[in-house]
Amino acid sequence: MVRRIASLWSSSIGKKALMSVTGLLLIGFLVLHLVGNLQLFADDGGKSFDAYAAKLKSFGPLLYVAEFGLGALFLAHLALGLRVTFENRAARAQRYALERDRGARSFASATMVVTGVIVLIFLVIHLLDFRLREMAPDGLAAMVVRRLSEPAGALIYVVGVAALGVHLSHAFRSAFQTLGLSGKGWDTPLARLGKAIAIVLGVGFAMFPLVFFSGAKKASHQASLEPARPIHAASDVTTEAIR
Amino acid sequence: MSSPTTVEASSKLASKCPSGPLAERWSKHRFELKLVNPANRRKFHVLVVGTGLAGASAASSLAELGYSVSAFCIQDSPRRAHSIAAQGGINAAKNYQNDGDSVHRLFYDTIKGGDFRARESNVHRLAEVSVNIIDQCVALGVPFAREYGGLLANRSFGGAQVSRTFYARGQTGQQLLLGAYSGLMRQVGEGQVKLYPRHEMLDLVVIDGVARGIVCRDLTTGEIKSYAGDAVLLCTGGYGNVFYLSTNAKACNVTAAWRAHKRGALFANACYTQIHPTCIPVSGSHQSKLTLMSESLRNDGRVWVPKAKGDTRSPEQIPEDERDYYLERKYPSFGNLSPRDISSRAAKQVCDEGRGVGASKMSVFLDFRAAIERDGVDEIRSRYGNLFQMYERITGEDPYRVPMRIYPAVHYTMGGLWVDYNLESTVPGLFVLGEANFSDHGANRLGASALMQGLADGYFVIPYTIAAHLAGRKLGKISTSHDEFKRVEQGVRERIERLKNAKGKRSPDSFHRELGLLMWDKCGMARNADGLREALVKIRELRDAYWQDVKIPGDAAELNNVLEHAGRVADFFELAELMCMDALHRNESCGGHFREEYQTPDGEAKRDDANFCYAGAWEYAPESPSGKVGWSMHKEPLVFENVKLAERSYK
Amino acid sequence: MSSSHDTHASHAAAPTHEKKHLALTLHVWRQRAATSEGKFVTYKLDDVSPDMSFLEMLDVLNERLIANGEEPIAFDHDCREGICGACSLTINGQPHGFERETTTCQIHMRRFEDGQTIYIEPFRANAFPVVKDLVVDRGAFDRIIAAGGFITARAGSAPDANALPIAGDVAESAMDAAACIGCGACVASCKNASAMLFVSAKVSHLALLPQGQAERSRRVLAMVEQMDKEGFGNCTNESECEAACPKGISVANIARLNREYLRALACGD
Ligand SMILES: Cc1cc2nc3c(=O)[nH]c(=O)nc-3n(C[C@H](O)[C@H](O)[C@H](O)COP(=O)(O)OP(=O)(O)OC[C@H]3O[C@@H](n4cnc5c(N)ncnc54)[C@H](O)[C@@H]3O)c2cc1C
Ligand code: HEM
Ligand code: FES
Repeated sequence: MVRRIASLWSSSIGKKALMSVTGLLLIGFLVLHLVGNLQLFADDGGKSFDAYAAKLKSFGPLLYVAEFGLGALFLAHLALGLRVTFENRAARAQRYALERDRGARSFASATMVVTGVIVLIFLVIHLLDFRLREMAPDGLAAMVVRRLSEPAGALIYVVGVAALGVHLSHAFRSAFQTLGLSGKGWDTPLARLGKAIAIVLGVGFAMFPLVFFSGAKKASHQASLEPARPIHAASDVTTEAIR
Repeated sequence: MSSPTTVEASSKLASKCPSGPLAERWSKHRFELKLVNPANRRKFHVLVVGTGLAGASAASSLAELGYSVSAFCIQDSPRRAHSIAAQGGINAAKNYQNDGDSVHRLFYDTIKGGDFRARESNVHRLAEVSVNIIDQCVALGVPFAREYGGLLANRSFGGAQVSRTFYARGQTGQQLLLGAYSGLMRQVGEGQVKLYPRHEMLDLVVIDGVARGIVCRDLTTGEIKSYAGDAVLLCTGGYGNVFYLSTNAKACNVTAAWRAHKRGALFANACYTQIHPTCIPVSGSHQSKLTLMSESLRNDGRVWVPKAKGDTRSPEQIPEDERDYYLERKYPSFGNLSPRDISSRAAKQVCDEGRGVGASKMSVFLDFRAAIERDGVDEIRSRYGNLFQMYERITGEDPYRVPMRIYPAVHYTMGGLWVDYNLESTVPGLFVLGEANFSDHGANRLGASALMQGLADGYFVIPYTIAAHLAGRKLGKISTSHDEFKRVEQGVRERIERLKNAKGKRSPDSFHRELGLLMWDKCGMARNADGLREALVKIRELRDAYWQDVKIPGDAAELNNVLEHAGRVADFFELAELMCMDALHRNESCGGHFREEYQTPDGEAKRDDANFCYAGAWEYAPESPSGKVGWSMHKEPLVFENVKLAERSYK
Repeated sequence: MSSSHDTHASHAAAPTHEKKHLALTLHVWRQRAATSEGKFVTYKLDDVSPDMSFLEMLDVLNERLIANGEEPIAFDHDCREGICGACSLTINGQPHGFERETTTCQIHMRRFEDGQTIYIEPFRANAFPVVKDLVVDRGAFDRIIAAGGFITARAGSAPDANALPIAGDVAESAMDAAACIGCGACVASCKNASAMLFVSAKVSHLALLPQGQAERSRRVLAMVEQMDKEGFGNCTNESECEAACPKGISVANIARLNREYLRALACGD
């Protein structure tokens, strides 16, 4: 039994299965995360979002357990992803002089580790931005909007989530194949669902920086007329801009 | 009835066939055979050369019994032996179709198909164990074609009147070999078989009159090494490549059998060659091998040539009444489905008359127009789509629009090392299985019966009969440090040196092509005494030139494809000579051996049962110390007690 | 270099006399032995008949090399009709060349263009070390089969072949998987040099059949273990193997292999 469990970590299929499971769970988390974040768009000056954050906080130790679990999933996925990539590189020490594929692989599938690493870097920044920093007095929502309205912040977030979208466009289908849950007419639906999830998550998360940044631009445009306007109000402007 | 011949039996050729009622001979014989105590089997070491159907099935079965086995093959993997290429199917007297088949009918069809030149006892045993072969293969996971309801499907093949052929798409040989190979690899995994791929046997070691080992060249490193054992099994396939162009894989060769022959194993019926009628014709001087098109095409294609000589019009411009559907004309009842030898010869005849088609004028049309008009293009595509595609890929011509062009090609060699009922050659301890022996097909092999024979020999015959040798003879311990091994190794090295040192101007391939063409012209589909005599002179000249003028670049101590080929070509020269002598001595026509002097008024083969109803086994006997080759003939009269010798007629 | 091969297919029955011979530039990988350095050597051929097969074109080149006293190019081949799996070669960056469901030995020169440059390399993977020039050692596949790619069935012990009916579609699926010729193009074309398509074809063939059930778990565990030992890469589900496979083996088999493996880990005996 121990050997069997060890095989999950050591065998090629085992490794990939772990990656798939961790990856799918992370996708599950991302879906929840996106739904939660939608509250940033509520037209209440960030109140419901902050309430949501407070609610999460109130779980206390439970939240820590969840965060720890999430971190572990991520680290496991990351470690396995890097390991698999290095092993795969090493499996052909002498490369081809001329290499031409037959069009079965996609841009996404060929760049999994690149998009993965971008996501990683992004995530570190993301955590530094909002999780590992002292809470601003005007609340989390305000912090988020502030950050996403900066050009650098918006850029980082757009690139990060775009990479995530590309990563997932191959990852979802791939995970099902790895877990043996495809074949027999399931391939096309799964591939489509994978693309859909990639788009929903990619575009969904990208909306925040795009909206806040363009809103902020508008705001800053207005700000040049009315310099004393508190930043907090930016979200109002934004929501207005959306309507 | 007994033997029609007055031929005297050679004392060298004791067939060991059991007596008594035909159907009981094999079980009686098995009972009489000695057994090897299970505990002792481990101590016996068997060398199996070749891993085709015969070799893989033998090696795995012997290992399963507990013998220690070493298996050798030329290819990089045992799974690539030439058996892999068989397409059509494998016969068995299962009578699953309830259409009147039986062991006796398969026996009779095979004897008759072989033109009454095979042993009754052997052929009957083959038909008996055929049913076990299918069981065994299915147990191993061979995915034979099945009916919707799950039972095994059959088809009728090669003109048989019952459906007894089992098949796996167009890959029957591949699937059977993968089954046998997987069994072999299981034994390799268990350490019971030691595998030597990319190893070529270059000589046989005979000590005290018993085969005790082989000498091989490791084809990767060039190392010459000996292997000792208590028995040697040659499962090294056929020698059709003596013709250079054939449907055989490029590595098929006679070397192992030939070396054994020169060490005392008699070579029987060398001239019996099967020519397959439906192959893709030669396209140019670069041609390296010929591709077989499944015979099933003849179910719907009509064979024809223009009536007029030298007609260069394209086929669609030739009106119906100027076409000669010669098979339908000559053999009204079998028509386009006439047996292989007959269809092949008929094609040669019309081409020789100058009525052949295509750029080289050496092909005939196989026309699907009528079938397409009758059944529609989709139906024909569903039946033959992949074959048509293969044809188009090779020729660049679209058979849906223009008739296919086909021509006969060398396909199988019925001759081989002489073996007794135990599959033992005239060298004690040397057994020969599969296409390499001469045993079961007489002068002509029926379609789908070579696969059957290979597996019969390996799974169901040798496991019993080898015990007669191992338990019956006193075999002392022998190692490769024995002087005889050293001597044979030295001979092998010297031969390689001689080839390498010729430092001539021509490649072995160019000699091989020349030899092949000569054999095809003089000892091919039709032979005559003058042509054979002429060939004998030319072969000897060419052989002498070969040893003077062959050129082999590269090192002998590494992978060297040219050197490998050079050794095989050298043996083909000697074999070619024997084939011509055998063809010349057999003053009759039978099966694949057609002597133009011996035909009926309407051009059919004329057997001479009074004088030639025997297997002719040649003993190698160098004439002079200079090593000039020569042979003497031994005869094993064929006795027919259960069938009536009849003329094969397909009119 | 042309990339319009597929449009170049000659569908019509080209009359023989019009066939134009081709001039070609070949860059061929030459490597003396496993341990030596290899390099590309350039050869020019100016009289290649479009009717030649690719290997016959190499034969002609080799004859010329022999005539010049040079060492001919070593390459594996045997049946020359697409069934033995011996031929390999990576042609212009693609194992078995650009045509779909084709082995190298089945390619004909009429599919190339006059003046074309062709790169010929061996199948490359650590698990397939070069033996010489274009010849590689694919023994790893044999060792994987020896580890478990079989059904244990002793000659003499088999029940009647029709005793166990197998539904036609199951037999067909098993046959689809069994069609693998073990050439190694899947490994050669995979960016990770993974052997999953080969192993999955074998596992699928035997796992689909009722005869294969007794050893089902043990087989897949042992074969995957051996596969990993041989140094193949991991599968990243990019399906290049399927596209390169001369027998069109589907990656659905890989999903089945994954399923079989995980199932065996979870509840195998
Ligand atoms: C294209 C084609 C289609 C055919 N189709 C059918 C069919 O449908 N039905 C049918 O019944 N028959 C068919 N046949 C005939 C049949 O395939 C062969 O007769 C049969 O497979 C021979 O099997 P074998 O085991 O005797 O030898 P092979 O399969 O030829 O094996 C020979 C083995 O010996 C090894 N070997 C040879 N020389 C040496 C040496 N010197 N040292 C070491 N190893 C050596 C080789 O490496 C190989 O492993 C076909 C033949 C051809 C050419
Ligand atoms: C939230 C973040 C991430 C999610 C949701 C995610 C999800 C997934 C999923 C579901 C797969 C498919 C697994 C399979 O087919 O077996 C996958 C593959 C992969 N992931 Fe991630 N991943 C994330 C972050 C990362 C990171 C940070 C890396 C860093 C190295 C990474 C590297 C990879 C690689 C290399 C693969 C390719 C493996 C393959 O295609 O088989 N991923 N990812
Ligand atoms: S040489 Fe046999 S598959 Fe190409």
